Amino acid sequence: MVKLSLKLIFLVFVIVTLTGCWDTKDIDHRLLPVAMGISKEGEEYQVILQVPEPVGGQMKNRIIKESGQTITKTIDTLSGNMESQIDLLHVKVILIDKQLAKEGVKDVISGFMRSRDVSSNALVTICDEDIEKFFNTVSNDLDVNAINLFEFFEKNAGWTPQIALTRVWQVYRSVHSYTHDVAVPIVVSGGSTNIRHMGSAVMKNGKMVETITPDETLLINAFKEESAQGRVEVSDHASVLIISNKTNSKSNFIDDEPSLENVINLKVVLLETKSDHTIELIKEELSTILQERFDGMFTKLQESEADILGLGQHFRNKIPRRELKDWRSKYYQELKMHLSVEIDIQNTGFLKSNSSDQSAN
Amino acid sequence: MNKNLQVILMYFITHVGLIFFMYPTDIIESASRTHWVPIFIGMVFHLVFIWIYMKGLSYFPGKNIIDIYMEKGKGLSLIFLIPIIGYFFLANITTVRAYSEIINIVFLSETPLWATMIPFLFIATYIAAKGINVIFHTAFIVACVFLPLFLFIFILSFQNVDWRYFFPLFDIDYSFISNRSYYKSFFSFAGVFLFLGFIQPYHTYDRKKVFLSAILLLPFFLFSVYVPILTFGQATSATFQFPFVTALDSVYISWLVFDRITMFFLISLLIFIMIFLSLLLWMVCSILVHFVPIVKHSYVLYFLSILIFIICVMLPDWKVVENLFWWNTYFRFYVILVIPFSVLIFGVRSKRKVR
Repeated sequence: MVKLSLKLIFLVFVIVTLTGCWDTKDIDHRLLPVAMGISKEGEEYQVILQVPEPVGGQMKNRIIKESGQTITKTIDTLSGNMESQIDLLHVKVILIDKQLAKEGVKDVISGFMRSRDVSSNALVTICDEDIEKFFNTVSNDLDVNAINLFEFFEKNAGWTPQIALTRVWQVYRSVHSYTHDVAVPIVVSGGSTNIRHMGSAVMKNGKMVETITPDETLLINAFKEESAQGRVEVSDHASVLIISNKTNSKSNFIDDEPSLENVINLKVVLLETKSDHTIELIKEELSTILQERFDGMFTKLQESEADILGLGQHFRNKIPRRELKDWRSKYYQELKMHLSVEIDIQNTGFLKSNSSDQSAN
Repeated sequence: MNKNLQVILMYFITHVGLIFFMYPTDIIESASRTHWVPIFIGMVFHLVFIWIYMKGLSYFPGKNIIDIYMEKGKGLSLIFLIPIIGYFFLANITTVRAYSEIINIVFLSETPLWATMIPFLFIATYIAAKGINVIFHTAFIVACVFLPLFLFIFILSFQNVDWRYFFPLFDIDYSFISNRSYYKSFFSFAGVFLFLGFIQPYHTYDRKKVFLSAILLLPFFLFSVYVPILTFGQATSATFQFPFVTALDSVYISWLVFDRITMFFLISLLIFIMIFLSLLLWMVCSILVHFVPIVKHSYVLYFLSILIFIICVMLPDWKVVENLFWWNTYFRFYVILVIPFSVLIFGVRSKRKVR
């Protein structure tokens, strides 16, 4: 009998401890922001949070802000001033002020990686205007759908291959890695669509050093084999939709001179043509345009010493690790890059198109 | 009675539980490139000593390691077994403390340490008190439930890998030989294997199959280190406390029900560790009971786990835990080198005598 009651006591004890509930807060006492904006004024960080709140059966966005020496302290002050605790577990998008991005986000990103409060999968974005203004415009106009900012970047929602997708851990990697940098999308508010995508910022070691246009970002995505569903205009003759893409690279390293041969294979579908041009012409023009665009962008990237394509990766087995450290400053500058774009037009839709032998008839 | 599958599963899951936290950290700390070299060397070492150990044990069918040493006299057995007790005891303390620290770092950041240690130790003690058969049965059930989940998440962890980080392949870095961390990493190799010598009268096993399951562990050893390196690169991985866990955190799959798969991964590993703990406790107790046969097995066990709990609570910080871990390395190498060889030597000798 004693044994049984002892067992029961133990059982209750285990049930209590095993739940792992310690200082639990109910979900209705937590605020779960989906977007977070960070800017820096002097030495102080300013943090703005967009919190979806149910008001009368509808979701409304609430914007709260605070400033402080560190981000965690700021969040803490916010929590202290509110009826609920702020939980960053569900932050999906982090907006960083352009000025702060130029100064460097190393500390901010390291803080996220260390504390694990913010998921390392959260997207990093740069905001090219006053962050408060951005949040106000975006949430005022679209108060029905609270997570619009997040959906803007979601692959199965608003994302297009013109937008670079960069997550917290990738930025962190770029801070420490010898051969890998990242492109971060830049957004502003305004226009009839509320959010306007301005291209991408090139981040080197956690600092913004250069900007590239949306079209150039598409090429970067094409290089990383992520450009499917991207639409490309071919001068004024046509526009095509990219169905699939594949990149082949061959690296060479002769006499301290790195060189890289790249072939991007794009499978496209013809969408629009403006006048009767043959398929061959469109193909040729598309390939030339993309190559020129790529060369222009690559020169810009080389000057900024930021390796957002991760080209150094191709030379890992050719350059000793000691010297790989100097990849960006030494070898990357001298890298001879040759890119050719090969286009397959998979089909031309419901309409027939002229090909050169047809037009010969 | 031949209970191959249970022994193999036990061998497998306890190792898996030990691999994914400290092992990658130690290896990444000890070498700056070509990490496969230290991993392979460790693995070869592992295979050699478990083979010697099992070969030695095979000369004594139906006897466990305590009986083997007892045959040689009480004094000799004391000399051989006391370091094992020390090793198990320290291993117990470091495991309980380190893993509850991991729980705290990764998900229960506001829970005090003692609250995570109690259920951890309590369940392990409870299983151990029920005897070796229950430990094996529990291990079997746990493996059935959690191994598939573990394997699924392990495969998912490859989502962000860039295989080019594998290079350079042959620019071999030998600095790991002089590095402390490398010797600490043997924790994952040498933590478990001794149990094969303790289970003999209750469980027998096929040597070849255990050996095969040890070989099967190779990819897990290899990729526990390489998944973070292939995802982040060496320079970045070296900044992480638990590289594999961080690499797992970067996995993003929108169709998956759970947002952070890391949690599920950790929980399955922690359950494997609980089995490991109960095995450790049971082994220490069986040695102790042999020396002091008046006391009941279960009382020794309760006393021991309370003692472990008190010591664990008293350890002030992570630095001390790491120090303990390092001290245990001496015991560990004693266990790796002396025990298998001595068993083999005794075995060969006793065979000659019979002839």
